[in-house]
This record gives sequence, C-alpha cells and structure tokens, in this order.
Amino acid sequence: MSRTTLQNCGRCGLCLSACPVYKVLKEEHASPRARLKLIQAYKNKTLPTSPVLQELVSKCLMCGRCAAMCPSGINHYGKFMEMRREMAAAHGDKIEIRSLVFMLAREYRLRAAAGVARIGRGLLPASFQKKSRLGNIPLDRFPRFPGKPLRETLPEEIPPQGTERGTVVYFTGCATNHLFADTGHASVRVLTAMGYRVRIPEGQTCCALPMLFHGAADQAGNSIQTNIQALGAAEDDPILVDCATCGAALKKEYPLLCDTLHLDSDVVAGIAARVSHITPFVLDHMDELDFPAADTALKVTSHTPCHRKHGFGGEDVVARLLKQTPGVDYRPAPDAEECCGGGGTFFYEYPEISKKMVDKKVASARTTGADIWVTDCPVCRINLAGNLDGESSMRVIHPLELIDMQLGRS
Amino acid sequence: MKENIKQEFMEVVGKDRSLHRTEELSCYAYDAFVAEAMPDLVLFPKTTQEVSAIMKTASRYKVPVTGRGAGTSICGAPVPARHGVVVCFSKMDEIIEVNTRDRYVIVQPGVVNGDLQRALAPFGFFYPPDPGSMEVSTIGGNVAQNAGGLRCLKYGVTADYVLGMKVVLASGKAVRFGSRNVKDVTGYRISELFCGSEGTLGLMTEVTLKVVPLPETTRTLMVTFNHLDDTAKSVSDIIGAGIIPTAMELLDKMTMNAIEDSANLGLPRNAAGSLLIEVDGVKEACDREIEKIIQKVRDNHAADIQVAETKPEQDRLWTARRSAYGVFAKLAPDIVTEDVTVPVSKVPEMIRNIEAIAEKHDLTMGVLAHAGDGNMHPLAPTDRTDKDHWRRVELAFKEIFEAAAALGGTLSGEHGIGIAKAPYLGLVMDKDSIEFMSVIKKAVDPDNLLNPGKFV
Repeated sequence: MSRTTLQNCGRCGLCLSACPVYKVLKEEHASPRARLKLIQAYKNKTLPTSPVLQELVSKCLMCGRCAAMCPSGINHYGKFMEMRREMAAAHGDKIEIRSLVFMLAREYRLRAAAGVARIGRGLLPASFQKKSRLGNIPLDRFPRFPGKPLRETLPEEIPPQGTERGTVVYFTGCATNHLFADTGHASVRVLTAMGYRVRIPEGQTCCALPMLFHGAADQAGNSIQTNIQALGAAEDDPILVDCATCGAALKKEYPLLCDTLHLDSDVVAGIAARVSHITPFVLDHMDELDFPAADTALKVTSHTPCHRKHGFGGEDVVARLLKQTPGVDYRPAPDAEECCGGGGTFFYEYPEISKKMVDKKVASARTTGADIWVTDCPVCRINLAGNLDGESSMRVIHPLELIDMQLGRS
Repeated sequence: MKENIKQEFMEVVGKDRSLHRTEELSCYAYDAFVAEAMPDLVLFPKTTQEVSAIMKTASRYKVPVTGRGAGTSICGAPVPARHGVVVCFSKMDEIIEVNTRDRYVIVQPGVVNGDLQRALAPFGFFYPPDPGSMEVSTIGGNVAQNAGGLRCLKYGVTADYVLGMKVVLASGKAVRFGSRNVKDVTGYRISELFCGSEGTLGLMTEVTLKVVPLPETTRTLMVTFNHLDDTAKSVSDIIGAGIIPTAMELLDKMTMNAIEDSANLGLPRNAAGSLLIEVDGVKEACDREIEKIIQKVRDNHAADIQVAETKPEQDRLWTARRSAYGVFAKLAPDIVTEDVTVPVSKVPEMIRNIEAIAEKHDLTMGVLAHAGDGNMHPLAPTDRTDKDHWRRVELAFKEIFEAAAALGGTLSGEHGIGIAKAPYLGLVMDKDSIEFMSVIKKAVDPDNLLNPGKFV
C-alpha cells in the first residue's frame, strides 16, 4: 500500500454538520462531501465539465469549516480552489465576478473603481439606493467609500508616540484601503500609541485570495509577486494584517503556491513567519496602552470570521481582547462563531442562502443587548451591517476601532 | 426511466424539490460505504401526502424507491441499488411536538439527532441514542438502521425509544403504528419491526420517540491493563456489582499506539488495552459508583487509573477515544470499519482473533470496542486503488465475520446490513429465519419496490 497517495474522502458525512450552506439547504449536492465526489468524478473523466458542475462546485463560502473538522485530514480548500480555477477557465464566470477579478488584479484599477463608485453613489437618488440591492444587502446600507483611499492619506512611515518599541509593517488589504479607512486610521493610532513605528509599504496590493477563489490564478500571480516584493524587503519586522482573509493568504496560501507560481520559497516562508493578525498583536501588548478611566461601559458583542478561525488558525482572541479592554461590557452571542454567510462574493451570488444565515446572526446579536458588534473581517462587516434594519442603533466596527475609541482618541 | 414518468414524479413535489441532472444525481449515489448506484430521480418531499403520492406513482409504474436521510450509513443502506427514485427526507425536518410532561417528542424523519438534543436540553431532557454521526444523521435514518451509540450500554438503542410512527406503505397508503404511550400492547409492535428495516418495508413520515431527563452529573475514569482478559473481567465485575455505566469504551494496544504516534497524549505504549468508563446520575450515587469501579478494576490488576475531577479533565480522558477514528483515517488513503458484536465475555477472544487475522493478511488493524455491550469496531486503513491490499482487507473482514459468528456473536451491532454485509447473513441466520423475513417483505411490498437489492 503506497503511503504517498493523497487521502481519499471516506464519505463519512461529518463535514455536512460543519457546512453552513448544507445547514441552510439540507441538500447533499450542496455539501463538501458532494463537491469532493464531483471533483473526483471530473478528474477520473467519468463526469464531463459543465456549467452545472461549475455551479455545484462554486456554491460554497470557502469558509474552511469542512477541512478543519475532516477526520481524514482532506484539504478541501485547495481542491475547491483548483477546481474553481478549472471551471472558470472552461466556462468563464458571471460578468460581475469577472469585473471584480479584473479590478482587484491591478491597484490602479481598484483605485479608479472606488473613485467611480464614490461619485456614482453621490449621484444616485436616496430612494433608489433604498430599493436596490447588491446581493442580500440594500444599497443604502452598503458602506460609503471614504473621500480618499487610506494609503493616499498617510505617509509611508508613521513615527511612534513616546518611547519607540520597534517597527511594524502594516498590510492594509483592499477593504481597509478603499472602504474602511477608519479601521486603518484607528489601527495606526493604536500601534503608534503603543510605541511602534508603522510602515505601510507602497506597492502593496490585493492579497489575491478573492481572485484565487474565482479561479483567476494568473491575475492572482501578479498581485502575489507585487506583494512579495513590497513586503520581502522589510527585514524582520512583524507584518500586521487587519483582515483574516489577507492573513490566511500571506501565511497559508502563498507558501502553497510557491511551485505553481515559481516563487522564491525562502522569501515567501520568511514573510509567512512574520505575519500576525493585528488583534492578537494588540492583545499581547495591552499593557503598553494607557486607557483613561471610563464611567460608563459600552455594551459589545462579537462575530468570529471563518477565515480567522478556520483559515488563519487560532482561538477567538477577540473575546479575550474585549474582556481585557477597560470600559467594555462584553456580551457574547451564543452563535458568535457561526458563519454570517458573507463569504467573499457569496452574499452577492447566493443572496437567499446568505440572507437566512445572516438573519439568524442579527437576531441573536440583538438579544445580547449590545450597541456595538465587532468583527475583524471586512466582508463579514459589510454583510452584518448591511443586514441590520434601519431602526437598529447597533454599529458594526473593527475591534481596533473599539480599542481606539476606548483610548479616547476619536 | 421514461420521461413522462419522471415528469409525473416531479409534479408531486415541484421542480425546485426535484433533481434530474446527472451531476446532481451522482451526489445521491453513495453513503459512507464503498458501493455506488445512480438514482434516476431525487425528490425532497415535505409532507406525508407528498410521500404518499410518490409511492402511488411508484406502484403504478413499478419504480424502485429508496429512502435517504443524511446519507451517513456505513453499509450502503440508502444507495439505490436498483436505481429508480431516491426520496430524500432531509427537508422534512420539523420537530412537531415536544412534550416532556408525558416524556415524548413527535418529529419528522429529517430532524437531525443533534438538533433534537438541542431542542430538548432547555427542558432538562435528552434522547439517548447517540451514534457517532449524530450531528448530521437524521432520526429517520437512525430508526431505519436502529442506530446505537456510546451510551446505549445503559440506555438502550433506537428501538427502545420508538413509541410509534406514521408510515407510507408501498401502495401509497399512510398508516400509523404504536402511540404516545410507553406501555402499549395493542396489537403487533410493528414500530419495532421498522427499526433496522432499512427502508425495505415502508417510508416513515413521522416518528414518536420516548425521551428521558438529563442526568444531574457525569463522572469519567480511564484505566489501563496489561492483560486483555482483565478488561473483560473488569467489565463483568462492574456490571455484576450493580453498576451500569453509560459507556465502557475499550481501545486495544494497536489503537493506543497509533493515537500516541500522532497525538502524543501520554497513553502507555505497552498496555494491552484501556477502558474509558463513564457513569451518570445523581452526584452522590456517581461518587459511590466511581469508588466501587476503582475497587473492581484494582482487583483485576489495573496498571493505571485516572479519575477526572473536572470537566476539562473529562474532556482530556475522552480525547483518545474521540480521536481514534481520525487517527486511523489518516494512516492511509481509505479506511474501512465494521461493527461485529459478540457476547461481552468474548471480547478479549474476539480482539485476539482480529489481531491474528490482521497478521495473517499482513494488515494494520486497530480495535475500538463498546466493551460493555460487546460491539466492536475493527479499523482497517487501506487503499482502494491497491487491488492486492483491498482484496486482503475484504478477506480479513470475511474472516472476522466468521469468527464473530463462531463466538455466538452477530454481524452488526449498530450499523446495519445494507449492501455491505448482505452476503454474510447466512453466517448468523438459518435459511428458515431468512425466509421468514422474505415472507414479511413480500406481504407488505409484493412488487419489491422499497429499497430493493439489499438484505431481504
């Protein structure tokens, strides 16, 4: 018996209990086990490629929950990604998805698109925005584009306040740069308050994971090369990400792609070793922060992004951070670790499934009585905030924004 | 299947609850067993009326119908061996009534076992059968396979909890068996006949189950032994002392070493086997039972005894047992597991038989056993593409079935027969008994429409 062969799916079906899409649809053909079976049949040439096959393989959040609990240790994630690539090559993708990939592939296009969206949003009448939806989200509940992308408003290097403790490299990702500049400003303020010099290397671009999910390997390859160049030069300083997906890309996906993309594996491994998520980094350095006394406590609940728990690894540090932050009344929701249904572009492609998932999350967050809902993934944030109804006073923010608020700086 | 017949079936549940494209159908050709067969159509009914209409159409055109829940069976039970229609109950998943005052629940067949537990917990109740697949498998599937689980030693198996059911017969007629009463000797106890019938007698559309109060507390201990016979002696001495633990799980030497290789939990590598024992009930009673158990295992030369004092310690002791399947699954591309069952006192002899058979065929095999009820899971890592290895695994399991039969055991304790063990039925049942099952089958399903190609 050869020991080198890859693990086969034993079809035990345990992954069905972990799959958020299966739990909503209760259909085997929308389960991780079925996707593996279809991929195997396609590879064995017993099932030809077809648009139906593409749809079945793509109706997936890429949350990684199946791989995380598989008793046989199957890498669903990698298999799904490769299959999506083959299917996209054979049948193309929806025009909106193709445009997204086109846009993410080059920083200048992304900048231009954000600019157009900014203007477009200004021109659309409010009544239209209320009625129209992007996937499961009403347009008027979509985040507003900031005046300028984050990186254009900050120098490449920001000096620390007080005694200097070291330097950190900040990989901002597309979302913080173009949508959630507030997260970026808050992160920089918190890090400099801790005594860190913050370097935001020019030339960084999209982490490329969204492109890989949509099978656009070539475009992804360009972005990955660009990022390696931007980050590789920065010696030994820790690289911080504020988005779990970017983290998963730099830490886990880049090293796996070394052979395919002919990357220098030493450089890539060096980068991967330096990457941390900003939330645990701040948690580890809480004693370097000086919180002013708070007379009232903020009621806060949290949502754990799938890519932090299952893609990036690690326990729920947000809960620990909230418990240690002065002036915070942490109110955990029982389903804090359940998927919200955002899944990159999933909320746009499969709004009915996504809506069922997010509605449950919103209802349960409400019962905690929290005013603030923190999550450290931009897509989760868009999805959660976009599905709160108009009357709700709850706000969805990044945990770093909460820390920044509690430091009394904004 | 002819196009017009397909259309007629699809009209019953509507287009959005019917599947007919090859890609989709192929996802209903399998369960966790190796054999596959393609259905011609998959339907997701939501009501008894729909199931009834499906069966009427099937009877009219003589189309085979195979029921399916979540497809976690390990013996091929929901595989549509003769093609035709797969009726998938996963969307028929409503908990119709929870009545803890009268200690019963009424559920649709697609309710997931774990979801039922979560619905009962706030009332301080639970449903005892706990198959390893409970977070995904459905009550319909559990009943059809008469599922067991770890705590069945104390609480009994699925059949002990089924009070009544609504069933759609081959003709399409819907009938009711049993009631909501724990005591009920009104006529044949037909509900029990359906437990383990694997969908060959009718399609359940509603099940009434007995539920019981959650115990106040649980206590856990793990004991290792240097001789296998001491494990079996301990099991019978503990039960003989009037203690019925919820679980008594045995890991053999091979399994403990495989777990140590991958997880490094500090299990003794030289021990012949270990027993994980759990008791539940009123706190004071549990404490006394633990004391007595310690005394009994000491009398039987226990090499090491660890008693969990806290919840995390309990979890730590369970880690080895819980990780066993995954450890073996990762040893090779594929894994085969069976569930032969022997009388409790014969467990050590059966383990030695399995070891000898594995050695004879040059295979790595571990044994997990529910030692308290003699239900054993030999685990064989293999590679289906390696023809010689696969043949040796098949031969070994055939010999394991024969060895179990020779010890007065049986083919399956909790997985069922399905396609996997149908050829071996003759080892444990005589010709007339098998014939009697056929008589029943022919009486209720004369055209052999319900899950044909299986054990009856």
